[in-house]
Amino acid sequence: VNKLFFLVTQMSQDPDVASAVAAIRSLLEFLKRDQSETILGLRENLTKAIGRLQEADSSVAVSSGGELFLRFISLTSLENPDLSQCRNVMIERGELFLKKISLSRGKVAKLCHTFIKDGAKILTHSSSRVVLKVLESAAADKKRFTVYVTESQPDSAGKLMADKLRRLNIPVTVVLDAAVGYIMEKVDLVIVGAEGVVESGGIINKIGTYQMAVCSKAHNKPFYVVAESFKFVRLYPLNQQDVPHRFKYKADTLKTAEDLNQEHPIIDYTPPSLITLLFTDLGVLTPSAVSDELIKLYL
Amino acid sequence: MPGADKETDLGERIEAFLAELKRGGRGSGETARSTAALLRRITAQARWSSAGDLMEIIRKEGRRMTAAQPSETTVGNMVRRVLKIIREEYARSRGSSEEADQQESLHKLLTSGGSSEENFRQHFAPLKANVIEAINELLTELEGTTDNIAMQALEHIHSNEVIMTIGRSRTVEAFLKDAARKRKFHVIVAECAPFCQGHEMATSLSEDGIETTVIPDAAIFAVMSRVNKVIIGTQTVLANGGLRAVNGTHTLALAAKHHSTPLIVCAPMFKLSPQVPGQNSLTCVNAHCPVFDYVPPELITLFISNIGGNAPSYIYRLMSELYHPEDHEL
Repeated sequence: VNKLFFLVTQMSQDPDVASAVAAIRSLLEFLKRDQSETILGLRENLTKAIGRLQEADSSVAVSSGGELFLRFISLTSLENPDLSQCRNVMIERGELFLKKISLSRGKVAKLCHTFIKDGAKILTHSSSRVVLKVLESAAADKKRFTVYVTESQPDSAGKLMADKLRRLNIPVTVVLDAAVGYIMEKVDLVIVGAEGVVESGGIINKIGTYQMAVCSKAHNKPFYVVAESFKFVRLYPLNQQDVPHRFKYKADTLKTAEDLNQEHPIIDYTPPSLITLLFTDLGVLTPSAVSDELIKLYL
Repeated sequence: MPGADKETDLGERIEAFLAELKRGGRGSGETARSTAALLRRITAQARWSSAGDLMEIIRKEGRRMTAAQPSETTVGNMVRRVLKIIREEYARSRGSSEEADQQESLHKLLTSGGSSEENFRQHFAPLKANVIEAINELLTELEGTTDNIAMQALEHIHSNEVIMTIGRSRTVEAFLKDAARKRKFHVIVAECAPFCQGHEMATSLSEDGIETTVIPDAAIFAVMSRVNKVIIGTQTVLANGGLRAVNGTHTLALAAKHHSTPLIVCAPMFKLSPQVPGQNSLTCVNAHCPVFDYVPPELITLFISNIGGNAPSYIYRLMSELYHPEDHEL
């Protein structure tokens, strides 16, 4: 278990890796070292490990990665009831799975960059590695475009995004979170990443995304979401209050806060009616196609 | 040599087809049927030994055909249907049962063990006959589409209703004429300038005893308050459930939305295309008089196709059943 924490901290030091991928990688390592004799024991240990991971980093991505890994274990164990044989198959498939999902960001970028036309003005929110990859591919395709990034308080992640874009020689402007409505008439399209994609086809992302979606709907601008498929999570929030507390606040806030109502949430939920299209490594999906994918996996 | 003769004959037919495409002027149903017939001929007469070769030949010809007339999307759709047919017949010949799981999915990601790269290189003797038979089935389906759609007319049109349409669509014409045999209703046709095909539509409908009124496009919004339903045809149905339809349709759709009037689109399945708006085409039209409009899926109530009625949000699913994702780009 201590080794697990070691691994988790190792992963967090590599900022380019998505947190779900890091979680799955650590769980795979845990699986390799696990000593249990039965599949049920294995599942129990894994569930405890996922719980520990979530204590360290309570984001939606870790939760979805963990659930996906558990599902992967169940599916594999159904095929091979004998544990030792099963473990080898699991480890082999797990490595293959990790390899595939590390390629997913590239696939998403390839799909999305054709939607960015020459001379486009793009608005994005906070710092997303997938959006960065999309913009990188579009720039590599010799397209000229400008980007507006929201500052995204409380951690000013937007400024980091702006730095990364400047290094790619893309003209970028940082705007205040409050200036989204003001800037919306100038932009042509909005592209955001997602920390989690929920069953309804909506997304969970950094706070301020919902605002941006409502504004873009009011101005009739397309609102695109780019997300890898391992971010699909089995949640169905009907409104902002429905999103579980453990996602809304950071792990340390959950432990120390006296009254959660006084704390600022760090994520919000954007309903599918505001999203035009989702770009995933499974293809270009409309929000209604997302639940189909989840059903195929979990049922 | 008879073999060489067959090939030159095939080449000539393809050239003739391309010339006809460039000339244009044919309805999309006819184009779809002649494309499928030509693909069947290619399968029968061209030289190929494995499914992979055949797919390459068809893809190559498909690219030439779509380049000849990019606005006629039914050609590309038929090519993709045939490619999917070839994949399915190959899978069936190999005996694998997972033809239903052709698509990428989360489930497939988790359970596949090792690379499952299909390269279609195996040779199967009955493959040619199977593919040709499947294409024949496709042709039969194509021939029946207008009738299948018209059969559903009585469920949607009721007596004493006022129906609005725009321009001329053979599918809508058959739809309305079928309902007129049992019900009495009134049709308002927007003329759809500058070609004013609405006039021909109105003449044709009135010949069948349907009370028709022609209105100029500018009067669409004004008249909409008296309309019960709007029924239109389309040139293409896009992957997100939107439409590429004749110029003026977006106006009609917005007016219908404003008055909460249901908008029904009659479109056979061969018009379903894997394109998504925003990728290309519509902005490359450098025209002062654009031929086509984009209608977003939020303005559409129902799609009536030869397989029944569907909501726009379901179109992605129908598309995944018709075409394989690798064939989206020919």
